[in-house]
Amino acid sequence: MKTNLFRTLRRLGFLFLAATAPVAMGGTNWIAPAHAEEAALKGGTLRVALLSDMTNYDPQQFSTVNFHLVKNLYDSLIEYTAEGEAVPSLATAWQIAPDNTSVTVTLRDDVTFHSGAKLTSADVAATLAKAADPKRGKNVYATMSIVKDWTTPDANTVTINFKAPVPLRQITDLLQFTIPIEAAGIDTVETVPAGTGAYMLDSRAVGQGLTLKANPNYWRKGQPIAEKVDFTIFSEDASASAALESDAVDLIYGGTSRSAVRLKDAGYQMVRGPGPLVMVFRINSTRAPFTNAKFRQAFNYLMDREGMLRVGYAGLGEVVALPWAPASPAFNAAYTEEFAYNIDKAKELIAASGLTPAEMSNWKMLVWGNDEPSVVLSQILQSALAEVGINIELDVRQGAEYTEAQLAGDYDTTFGAVGNVQKFPSRVATNSIYRGVKNPVLKDPHPHADYVAAIAQVNTTSGPDEAVKASYDNLNRVLVNDAFAIPTNSYDTGLIVASPKLGGLSLDIDNLFVARTVGFQ
Amino acid sequence: MSKLGRKTLSILGRLLSSKGSALALIFLVGITLAAIFADFLPLNPVGQKLANALKGPSATNWFGTDELGRDILSRVIFGARTSLITAGGAVAIAALVGVPIGLVAGFFGGWRDAALMRFVDVLLALPAILFAMAMIAVLGRSQAAALIAVGLTGIPSFARITRAQVLTLRKRDFVTAVEAFGGTATYNMFRTILPNSWSPIFVQVVVLCSVAILLEAALSFLGVGVPPPTPSWGEMLRTGKSYLHEAPYYAVLPGIVLTLTILSFDVLGRALSGLLEGRRDPVIAPKVEEVTT
Repeated sequence: MKTNLFRTLRRLGFLFLAATAPVAMGGTNWIAPAHAEEAALKGGTLRVALLSDMTNYDPQQFSTVNFHLVKNLYDSLIEYTAEGEAVPSLATAWQIAPDNTSVTVTLRDDVTFHSGAKLTSADVAATLAKAADPKRGKNVYATMSIVKDWTTPDANTVTINFKAPVPLRQITDLLQFTIPIEAAGIDTVETVPAGTGAYMLDSRAVGQGLTLKANPNYWRKGQPIAEKVDFTIFSEDASASAALESDAVDLIYGGTSRSAVRLKDAGYQMVRGPGPLVMVFRINSTRAPFTNAKFRQAFNYLMDREGMLRVGYAGLGEVVALPWAPASPAFNAAYTEEFAYNIDKAKELIAASGLTPAEMSNWKMLVWGNDEPSVVLSQILQSALAEVGINIELDVRQGAEYTEAQLAGDYDTTFGAVGNVQKFPSRVATNSIYRGVKNPVLKDPHPHADYVAAIAQVNTTSGPDEAVKASYDNLNRVLVNDAFAIPTNSYDTGLIVASPKLGGLSLDIDNLFVARTVGFQ
Repeated sequence: MSKLGRKTLSILGRLLSSKGSALALIFLVGITLAAIFADFLPLNPVGQKLANALKGPSATNWFGTDELGRDILSRVIFGARTSLITAGGAVAIAALVGVPIGLVAGFFGGWRDAALMRFVDVLLALPAILFAMAMIAVLGRSQAAALIAVGLTGIPSFARITRAQVLTLRKRDFVTAVEAFGGTATYNMFRTILPNSWSPIFVQVVVLCSVAILLEAALSFLGVGVPPPTPSWGEMLRTGKSYLHEAPYYAVLPGIVLTLTILSFDVLGRALSGLLEGRRDPVIAPKVEEVTT
């Protein structure tokens, strides 16, 4: 009896192994696709279509128009996988002090800049000094607010000290954001790249394009695969699509969602990165009628998020009621359900606001005319507002005229994207509307003390897990209550649509274009 | 019936006798009537139905729907109103400013002619679309701003045509006669010369209508015309071009209506020019008794 049972179990075991072997083998393939594919890829000249020209070569100028360059001309200290796991890059190790008040970074010793100079801790120190300078630090400056000082014990070691204990994720975010610039070239980095990246600048024709050539001394073995990368700027998304379809380019970086969906259906590869942006309806709560909290809260329910995502972004993205991508630790899907489009609830809050119809309609919505989704989203909201008896005008402005007003905070309301939504939650405060201090829209002192306190709580809560979660929950509730920024949906920035002949396509955690792994099949 | 009325009817009859100009006239009358009475038609140019977005032409939506599920036919008809109001207003501004400039410059000559024509030359030297965009940048984006911008770009053509006409008529006997009877310069300009200059000015009105519609559409296409959701043909072309693959009708149908409108104005302008040209006799003879009093 026992033997029969054993035999039966053994047979079942064989059957199980036989059934799962292909899955297991396939699983192996699935785990390491990049290496297998990379080995088979060939070099050549990669032709990339863009829709806008770059501003400068400073990796701390983290504008979307520079996203095609940063991770090709430079490397950061560490990188994140698509799942958000920190992995080494220029830093081989990073040791966080037990009390979370410092991190010691060990640098690789086989890295050289494009000039031929060796990467040392002095370069990292010079980069940190630039980042900490409010005039030169650009988009990295806000991230440096947690840093007290730094030391360089030897040529390969940097220790960064913090003003207070800092949560782990915030430390790795800082290291991922630290992109070493050669100390000797730091003052001219806007015009002359000074990085360690897989590619070096070959030539540039302003407004037309730019060519990169492979760095022969690049430290990652076997990379870059393509010898040259030719970026061509197209003024129209349709022109870029036509160029791809006629084989004039191999890849489009940063095209529209709608074109990407169409091209994908036509057999092209579409690569979506882990670092989406979130579209946010920004409200200047220092101006009437938006000084009224109930009136602002009504906007949580006035957003037809599903419709906005479908029409504005061809459905590529997720509807969100909070400024987080699903990868964010503060993401909470329940809020999307709670604050779904609901005209009746909006009407209740509007009635509770006590405002007269004239007061409620006495404002304009600033619209970025160059951005089709913004125009569409604004019109959808305008229609929803008309449904609750609020008739407002759209103030559509083009290009610099819009940017100037947006950056200066000179508007009643406007749609605009926010980034850093997949990282440590307080990083959201690097976006202008969410800044706790020197907010260009809400000014100082910040009118929403609860929000400032909630961000501070998140920043200073490094454990235990329940306390961290409670700080995120508190921040989320404050965000919908204060309602000075109403998120609608996440969407892809730096979307890649590529010819089927390309392989090794990937985007970094912020959806920056990484060309070094791309080759021809 | 007055002489002017008979003349108008005669011109209208001759226009309708030509197949091309008759079709153009019928189309323009049709589109104008649709624009005027659009409010009484079962149309809703701003009503959104997101679930119904980018649906092709059907029995419900003859021209299909746009990206927000709005009826394109409704937007084309209400867009005609935008275009025609802008064109009408622009032509009025251009004529009201340009014609007096041409009259004064041609009648008086000398330094007044030189000064006014240099001013007109400056306006003429500026590319119309750039000038209009600069004006809108100053005035802000609205239908009134588009109307003024397009109107200002039309001033030089009216001024030049009127001046040329005045120079031709200035030494004619009937003008000299009015002067001899003591007619003032103002009287001579506005009561003697101007009524005899209407033909080319009227042709210019028709021609400028097509230019103004095109310019308004171009401004909207460039994103500086009337702000959404106000329907405008140029704005529909601008948005529609992004959906050429998924919904070609979105840009094509408003484009056809715009083309037909401009073509109709052009055909009509050419026909009128042919009919009115060559006539040298004054349409309205000056009343001597009015001058002598």
